[in-house]
Amino acid sequence: MLVTVTSRSGKEVVKGGIQLSENATVKDLKASIHKRTAGKLYPERQRLSLPLVSGQTRPTVLDGDKRLCDVFPEGSDHIVILKDLGPQVKYSTLFFFEYVGPLFIYPMFYFLPLYKFVGLPEKRVIHPVQTYATIYWCFHYFKRIMETFFVHKFSHATSPLSFVFRNCCYYWSFAVFIAYFVNHPYYTPVGETQMYIGFGLGIICQLANFYCHIILKNLRDPKGQGGYQIPRGFLFNYITCANYTTEIYQWLGFNIATQTVAGYSFLVVAAYIMSDWALGKHRRLKKLYDGKEGRVKYPNRFVILPPFL
Amino acid sequence: MAGLAILKRIYLAVYNWVVFAGWLQVLYWAVQTLRTSGYEAVYAAVERPLQFAQTAAILEIFHGMFGLVRSPVSATLPQIGSRIYVTWAILWSFPETRTSPIVSSLVLSWSITELIRYSFFGMREAFGITPSFLQWLRYSTFYILYPTGISSEVGLILTALPYVKVSEKYCLRMPNRLNIAFDNYFATLFTLASYIPGSPYMYTYMIGQRAKALAKAKKSA
Repeated sequence: MLVTVTSRSGKEVVKGGIQLSENATVKDLKASIHKRTAGKLYPERQRLSLPLVSGQTRPTVLDGDKRLCDVFPEGSDHIVILKDLGPQVKYSTLFFFEYVGPLFIYPMFYFLPLYKFVGLPEKRVIHPVQTYATIYWCFHYFKRIMETFFVHKFSHATSPLSFVFRNCCYYWSFAVFIAYFVNHPYYTPVGETQMYIGFGLGIICQLANFYCHIILKNLRDPKGQGGYQIPRGFLFNYITCANYTTEIYQWLGFNIATQTVAGYSFLVVAAYIMSDWALGKHRRLKKLYDGKEGRVKYPNRFVILPPFL
Repeated sequence: MAGLAILKRIYLAVYNWVVFAGWLQVLYWAVQTLRTSGYEAVYAAVERPLQFAQTAAILEIFHGMFGLVRSPVSATLPQIGSRIYVTWAILWSFPETRTSPIVSSLVLSWSITELIRYSFFGMREAFGITPSFLQWLRYSTFYILYPTGISSEVGLILTALPYVKVSEKYCLRMPNRLNIAFDNYFATLFTLASYIPGSPYMYTYMIGQRAKALAKAKKSA
């Protein structure tokens, strides 16, 4: 079959269209487009969709594994619309840069005499909680990097390059904000009991979070077949995104121990972002596992933060 | 839902004309005072209508958020943010800045721009007409008034800087139980720095809006 490839403005992107076999998939089409555009538009950079039907506001994006003969409606012209998503990076690349910043930035405030640059005295007294906090923080981000390369199984999805800058701003700025105040020469520590409770909670939740990640990794088909699976076992029996729950409570532990406005504001923002993701995932799972036509029905679970959400 | 649409229109019409009246007072008293007393007295003469009209604009963030108007929050937030900052955190908080000649250029730039803008939207909401002369003014005067307004804002913030540092006003110092501090001098410097990317962003946004508006006007002509 002959497939015409146009841009969103209607201009033809590949002159003369692309000739493909009847059994060709969307993936094959993307590979052909990659070749025919002088190698610039690798498949992850392409978003292929069908022309908008009247009344549609959002285009139908074409899924890689589908056969082309199945995606085109009966009797329609074989036209796909190509959007260049811009340079893409792998999730592991994105995560690495996000996490490596905080890993090195925080200890700078603990070890180096930076406060003299804002006219404050160089640190005289180091409270135990400040030492533990530095170890805790660095362990946390080290764990995240290790999980990125050795635990998480990413789908083939990629992120736009611009996300690297955006996300690094978020993580790195908060790292500076929190590290500045926890290691401040005039920092006021909380009582010893509170500190132990905070770090204790944090450590337990980090371990639980790691176990959640193991469970999620094992959900993925070794062949990397897409599709959502219902997470089961451990906290997932009660909460859809138990991995986010444990992450949020882990930060709560850190903040109970260190008690700064900076740390708590990070907790609030992170919880908000994760809740947004969790709601999306919960909805997708409920929609996919609707109990109809022999499919399993998604069990009644909390989304992310029992008993509220 | 037709009732809701009418309610929205009445609300926006009233809002735009009321704030217009506020800015009219600002311009009137500014010009009057410049002619009779001189630039040092301008702030005292316009303070109340200025604070009213400028602070009311905070509502516009919600208008954008709740879809009452089309303007994106990304364009209204920096604009209103800088206006409220100069009005309250600089002029009202540091009286030493009030007698500067920059207050006059500020107030004139702001009031002329806002009179054009609010009357344009007020006409559209109340009477359904968009006079092409007003539209031309709205999408042309910013070429001059944005630079004069922005320079005045930056100039006033710079004027206030030594007083910000010495007075320690609004500063929060450590040690405290929440382990948080706020240094107004540093924050003011940061705000000044934000004008460096912020000003070209707002200026090019308006240029883009102008192109869109003129293209639309041409199409419907």
